[in-house]
Amino acid sequence: MKKTMSLFLLTGLAGGLLSGCGNSGGNASPQASGSSASATSQASEAASTTPAKKNITLSYLASQDWIKDPEMKLAEKFEEQTGIHIDYQIVPSDQYSNVLKAKLASGEAPDIFGGQSGKFDLGPLYDVEHNAVDLSNEEWVKREDPLFIEQSSWKSKVYALTVWDPSSSWIMVYNKPIFAELGLSVPKSYEEFLKACEAIKASGVTPIYEPVSDGWHHTLWFPEIGVRYEELDAGLADKLINNSEKFENASVLEQSLSQFSELVQKGYFGEYAFSNTYADTEKNMAGGKYAMTLYNIGLPAQIEQAVPGSKASDYGFFPIPLMDNQDLNVNPAAPSKFISTSSKHVEEAKQYFAFLTEQENLQYLLDNEPKFTTLNFKDITPKFNDEQKAFFDTYGKTTGTVYQTAINYVNPQWMDIGKDMAAMMNKQMTPKDILKNIDKRREQQAKTAGDSNWK
Amino acid sequence: MTRRMYPFYFIAIALAFYVVFTVVPSLMGIYLSFTDWNSYVKTIRFIGLDNYSTIFSSDENYMHGIRNTVVFTVATIVLKTIIGLLLALMVNKGIRLKSFHRVILFMPSVIPMLVVGIIFKSIYDPQYGLINETLRAVGLSSWTQHWLTDIQWAFKSVIAVDVWKGAGYIMVILLAGLQAISHSYYEAADIDGAGVWKKLRYITLPLLMPSLTVTTVLNLLYGLKIFDTVYVLTNGGPGYATDVVYTQVFSQFSLGSYGVGTALITVLFVIMTILGFFAIKLMSREEQG
Repeated sequence: MKKTMSLFLLTGLAGGLLSGCGNSGGNASPQASGSSASATSQASEAASTTPAKKNITLSYLASQDWIKDPEMKLAEKFEEQTGIHIDYQIVPSDQYSNVLKAKLASGEAPDIFGGQSGKFDLGPLYDVEHNAVDLSNEEWVKREDPLFIEQSSWKSKVYALTVWDPSSSWIMVYNKPIFAELGLSVPKSYEEFLKACEAIKASGVTPIYEPVSDGWHHTLWFPEIGVRYEELDAGLADKLINNSEKFENASVLEQSLSQFSELVQKGYFGEYAFSNTYADTEKNMAGGKYAMTLYNIGLPAQIEQAVPGSKASDYGFFPIPLMDNQDLNVNPAAPSKFISTSSKHVEEAKQYFAFLTEQENLQYLLDNEPKFTTLNFKDITPKFNDEQKAFFDTYGKTTGTVYQTAINYVNPQWMDIGKDMAAMMNKQMTPKDILKNIDKRREQQAKTAGDSNWK
Repeated sequence: MTRRMYPFYFIAIALAFYVVFTVVPSLMGIYLSFTDWNSYVKTIRFIGLDNYSTIFSSDENYMHGIRNTVVFTVATIVLKTIIGLLLALMVNKGIRLKSFHRVILFMPSVIPMLVVGIIFKSIYDPQYGLINETLRAVGLSSWTQHWLTDIQWAFKSVIAVDVWKGAGYIMVILLAGLQAISHSYYEAADIDGAGVWKKLRYITLPLLMPSLTVTTVLNLLYGLKIFDTVYVLTNGGPGYATDVVYTQVFSQFSLGSYGVGTALITVLFVIMTILGFFAIKLMSREEQG
């Protein structure tokens, strides 16, 4: 009897474990429900202390780092004008996709939700036809960069507002004084890059700051140079999209990963790449212990703001040098704002979008956000400095779309590619293994999405 | 008839909750593991054993996760039991500040895992962490390691944190068992001239066996469903070095492949039931004789 009871207990406990799985869709949003409660209380507080014009709170779910401080300031101004309060619910980036999907699936979406634009994300991931409000007739659509509008559209309807820096490609940011001291010039090829790294390493400085611990940053090295892959193997993107070619068989992709691996094995990422964090980039770059990092063009301004005594003018730029890349990569897919169809305040949310896209508010956002140098809207005055202008003059002639946007089923497996690349850095996997895994995951996703190219 | 039904009336509400919130979702979970449930389709289709075939044949990483989970479980059961027993024996004796020691040793068990993760990430930091700084300070720089980011050390470091956190809890259970053992056994053994080892071997351990059975089963269940410790410390990395079944389930759910995720949990459920069955059987045999 005792044994039977013990087994019953064991099965019950194990069953409890399984039940977590059965309920997974509904319990993935603790932060959100907490925020929701806080929203209600904040709304009541606001109602009791200020003469609210509409007494409405719009809940806004977004991933970490998508909502900039100036936007929050604008939201305060919006509330002053209209009485409509924006309740930001910020979720850590590595959990955001799960939280959002759970909320959309359970019909508990906030009034506004953030999401990456891009065809695959809008269609199979967010199912915007059912979950998002059609924004095609909004006035700001005519002023937004058509490339961005294209990525926030599904079946010829616009479903999202994207306010982002179109020049924020991931590029190499380098420390000019370190380069000057070692007599180095900007590398124009992979070989020149290797030589520069070797000279920097020999001087006692770590050539590249790479925060692997975040799990996503080092992945950038691979899909960001999509334009170069297309130059070397014309039509590769189309072949990958229609499944007439595999990642595994594309030699340019294997070579690119091999070069990345070579940088690691030669010690150019330093001893602490696996414990470095993205959040410490400014501090570490300002300290002069690292000569380069992969970031976007706003980093120097961020360093100057974050570390007293540092100067933005000490930093220059060049494209990711793998595969001799000399082209600028563009990603017209960016964090965007959607209005949920289940929202009771669709018109107020549209009003907020219209407010954000007013010319003076866009300019305010740009002028006050160090990470942005321009915005994807007409008639905005960019704030490029001479170094940035020179960079665009030199490298902006050839541009193309990055692979995570150009090739479907790549972006959703970003973190998994990151794990594979970390395994390669530890010599547990080869570049070929990584490409095979990408194919496997693409196949799995394409089949489950019912993609006709995989039938 | 009515009197015989009384116990069932008392448990009816609890049983209803158990069925609705545990049994039904568990059965749904098992069913969903045979479907193509994912975030891209609206209708869920039955696909037989396809998800299991994905786990066992197409990707060695899944097997790696299952292997790591089993290794983690066995290692933590052994270490937590040994350390927990030693701590229990220590605080069961008339040492000074006995209550204080009990509280201190139990304290790690009640610290939230998120806090433990933050603390140990800092302690393990290869540049500024307490361990490496201490080693450098005492002239043992060559012993410094990348505790959480070197594939040789990451898994061991995660196990060490889990043992540190859980040993106090095991100590409390074993201490209760120790205090239930009558002193007359030890007095008789003293008269017979038995030493410390013989008293431990022939009195303490056999009489402690029911408590050891409880701790082993609890550790087994906890170890097999390990997630939080790994997630906060390494998230399965570097690469796949510390991946366990639940980090893989998390990854599958992130990809929207819920069917494969539930299949992984079902595999774990089967392993858990088999290992639990044998553990209970083995321990019961020890208890009896």
